Amino acid sequence: MLLDFARLGPWRVVLIVIAVLVGAYLLLPILLIVALSFGSSQWLQFPPPGWTLRWYEELFDDPEWIASFLTSFQIAAVVTVLSVVIGLMASFGLTRGEFRGREVLRALFLTPMILPVVVLAVALYAFFLRLHLNGTFLGFVLAHLVIALPFSIIAISNALERFDRDIETAAIVCGASPLEAKIRVTLPGIRLGLISAAIFSFLASWDEVVIAIFMASPDLQTLPVRIYSTLRQDLSPVIAAVSTLLIALTAALMALAALFRKDARS
Amino acid sequence: MTFLEISNISKTFGNVAAVNDVSLDIAQGEFVTFLGPSGSGKSTTLYMIAGFFEPSGGDVRLGGRSILAEPSNKRNIGMVFQRYTLFPHLSVAENVAFPLRVRRRSAAEIGRKVEEMLALVRLEGFADRMPAQLSGGQQQRVALARALAYDPPLLLMDEPLSALDKKLREEIQDEIRRIHRQTGVTILYVTHDQEEALSLSDRIALFNHGRIEQLGKGRELYEAPRTRFVADFVGHSNFLDCTITRSEGESADIVLPDGGMLSGISLHGAAVAGARAGLMIRPDRLRLSPLGQAAEPGIDAVLSDATFIGETYHFVLATGWGASVNVRMPASRVRPDEVTMGAHMQLHWEATDARLFCH
Amino acid sequence: MTVTDVPLANPSPATARRRGRGIVPVIPALAVVVLVFVIPVLALLLRSVLEPEPGLQNYAAFFGSTTYLKVLGNTFLVAGTVTLATVLLGFPVAWFLAIAPSFWSRLLFAIIILSMWTNLLARTYAWMVLLQRTGIINRTLMDLGLISEPLPLINNLAGVTIGMTYIMLPFMILPLHATIRAIDPAVFQAAALCGASRWQAFTRVMLPLAASGIAAGALMVFVMSLGYFITPALLGGTSNMMLAELIAQLVQSLLDWGLAGAAALVLLVVTLAIYLVQLRFFGFGQARS
Ligand SMILES: Nc1ncnc2c1ncn2[C@@H]1O[C@H](COP(=O)(O)OP(=O)(O)OP(=O)(O)O)[C@@H](O)[C@H]1O
Ligand SMILES: [Mg+2]
Repeated sequence: MLLDFARLGPWRVVLIVIAVLVGAYLLLPILLIVALSFGSSQWLQFPPPGWTLRWYEELFDDPEWIASFLTSFQIAAVVTVLSVVIGLMASFGLTRGEFRGREVLRALFLTPMILPVVVLAVALYAFFLRLHLNGTFLGFVLAHLVIALPFSIIAISNALERFDRDIETAAIVCGASPLEAKIRVTLPGIRLGLISAAIFSFLASWDEVVIAIFMASPDLQTLPVRIYSTLRQDLSPVIAAVSTLLIALTAALMALAALFRKDARS
Repeated sequence: MTFLEISNISKTFGNVAAVNDVSLDIAQGEFVTFLGPSGSGKSTTLYMIAGFFEPSGGDVRLGGRSILAEPSNKRNIGMVFQRYTLFPHLSVAENVAFPLRVRRRSAAEIGRKVEEMLALVRLEGFADRMPAQLSGGQQQRVALARALAYDPPLLLMDEPLSALDKKLREEIQDEIRRIHRQTGVTILYVTHDQEEALSLSDRIALFNHGRIEQLGKGRELYEAPRTRFVADFVGHSNFLDCTITRSEGESADIVLPDGGMLSGISLHGAAVAGARAGLMIRPDRLRLSPLGQAAEPGIDAVLSDATFIGETYHFVLATGWGASVNVRMPASRVRPDEVTMGAHMQLHWEATDARLFCH
Repeated sequence: MTVTDVPLANPSPATARRRGRGIVPVIPALAVVVLVFVIPVLALLLRSVLEPEPGLQNYAAFFGSTTYLKVLGNTFLVAGTVTLATVLLGFPVAWFLAIAPSFWSRLLFAIIILSMWTNLLARTYAWMVLLQRTGIINRTLMDLGLISEPLPLINNLAGVTIGMTYIMLPFMILPLHATIRAIDPAVFQAAALCGASRWQAFTRVMLPLAASGIAAGALMVFVMSLGYFITPALLGGTSNMMLAELIAQLVQSLLDWGLAGAAALVLLVVTLAIYLVQLRFFGFGQARS
């Protein structure tokens, strides 16, 4: 009755209305940004008086925007590689290791994800002041690695736990060395976990803003920092253009993830 | 000639003795099955041979050489697991080729061998399928092909059919028998299904509490069980409580709870007069007669239940002291008018079919 | 049993445990977390009792000042309102997702995921545009003649609440959806046979069965809202700060590390306490499904 859409009676109308409203609430702001990024009004009039690519041109003509884009990409790429490699190793230890305190360690690895990031940002800012790491590439990578690692460890540990270890054992009986068995059998077996670890790690770094705001220097700014500092001054339509590009990236990654999931099911 | 020599191996986990001083010699080409209840140490023994566990004591020698120092991947042993362990990202052919690839064999040899193995397990047309597209039975056949691809001298199988339904199980049992004949490989097979053990093996090692309780051909275990556990585990048995009145060597006289005396029954284990014991008789070795007509030793009992199950009749009788006894008789030897509930009957048997096991 | 339980050729689990078998691959991750997380955070918290001089004066200052207590009050008020709003909006949506025809539920699902994954700043920017004095919402309402003056929707707690509800909604909908999907429809047939009306079936069967999902989602949204920084910083006003902004400001403008450490500890303690409640009652998996 209550879980049968067709037999929900008058309640169905209520559900549909709320679902449509919430769907609009979630979707319209995103569409609005996209529209504004092509709109000709400097003052973000809506509906826009005309259409233009001017904001994109301004964006691509500004070397600072390009630089921050590249900085973010480089940091996120390095973080992704490190996060997947270190996360893979840690996941092996956490799912297969036989040592005291394993569960405590697992909880410790996940805490950076649940603690308010502002606390970590302030703490790292103070810590990196002493090490002269603020505003450096290494500093950004280390800070974002801490944020990305939990995602990586969760994704890979889940995949490893689901992977039947007897399959790896079978490869060893077949004559493969333990390392060869891991590379040729276990890694392909958990590849979906590795891919989602990579996607989440990349996004964790790419979208990270709070730590970056504290750590950034005028010479080394990530894209979110630049958006944030621009936003504090004015609501330039250039931000709409950047945001639209970011939304496109998100949609592309979502499509990619969906594709892999479909691939896994077939 | 001994090919695989397991001598006095043990394995303790913490303070649990999972395998306790097991010794076993196996000839080349032999098919030996480990049978036993859950947790009796069958898998652990197998895993020590495969190298997954290091024995706490003892030795395993293959072809005269100890293999304990070698890691699993150097032992050159084949193994089929209980669960499906095909490599999910590789096709059937690539699964079978895997052990040859890690051994860096030539492409030509790999191609030839894969074809040969798929023919052996009758899956010729399946080379390009992925494991997920195979039924359970097919997966285990591919696993078998993979385990045999590198011509291992010894094949270990740990309950390979337990995930399959009964009909498929019997079908693959036939395949395994055929492949054993065809390849001559020595097989160590684990199961807790006694029918499977009886139908496949040359010899059966019956495990209990980490020890081999009895080792021998299936028929020996059935007809000449050496302990009450063996008698109970292999086939069905009736056990009647009794007291020994006199014992001499391997023969004893007993008295039953209702005062009935029986003499000259073959005895297992040392016993003194007055000791309690169990009188074991197989349900299919018991016969039923109207009272007072049998010459053999017997017990009076009342028929309390009769079930017709196709080829056989299954009777349950109650003795005067309340024990219940199962009897199985071919349906052709039972006349319908004999099956009267509450009828007093005499249970009797050939003297050689009864055994005494001391408590 | 499976071979999986014990590493290959392992003498025995007991000795292995003592030797720490398998701990080596964990070391790089442990090093990163200790060096870049544990030590800096502990150092910050330590400063709260060491600076400017050893003692608890920072905590006394924090809890003795009406300004800071007001910040704490704002934080709980916003987090509470956001939680309530996400429950009220999220429950019907999760319900809809669980039972609607697959095309519509999939479409809505895609919208939710898209919004969740879209860059936080992009989403906040959209709300800044929408809510500003001359923004679309105000202009539309004025064009319709519903209001004569623009509503103050930004630089105050109303703006923060609207923006954060938007951001937190997916975190409520997704776990709730999983809970509602797990309910066996047959219980409602049973309830109907027992004579329950729709309303009774809802209050006596559906709500109790979904309660664990609601509680898990609510705790998660609440605790995430407590420590949120970006959205309050951009949509909120200077006069109505939340705790995360206060910490940032103490460090950036006032350079008062001791007080910042104290405020951080307050935030951490509340956060951890709520997570422990969640862990205790719902397990970790559900918290982060
Ligand atoms: N890795 C291990 N750690 C601790 N105890 C173990 C381990 N492996 C096996 N055991 C114990 O050793 C005993 C024998 O187990 P084993 O797996 O060999 O039994 P089995 O005869 O194969 O049983 P089954 O028919 O259930 O597979 C059991 O009591 C089991 O609990
Ligand atoms: Mg077993």
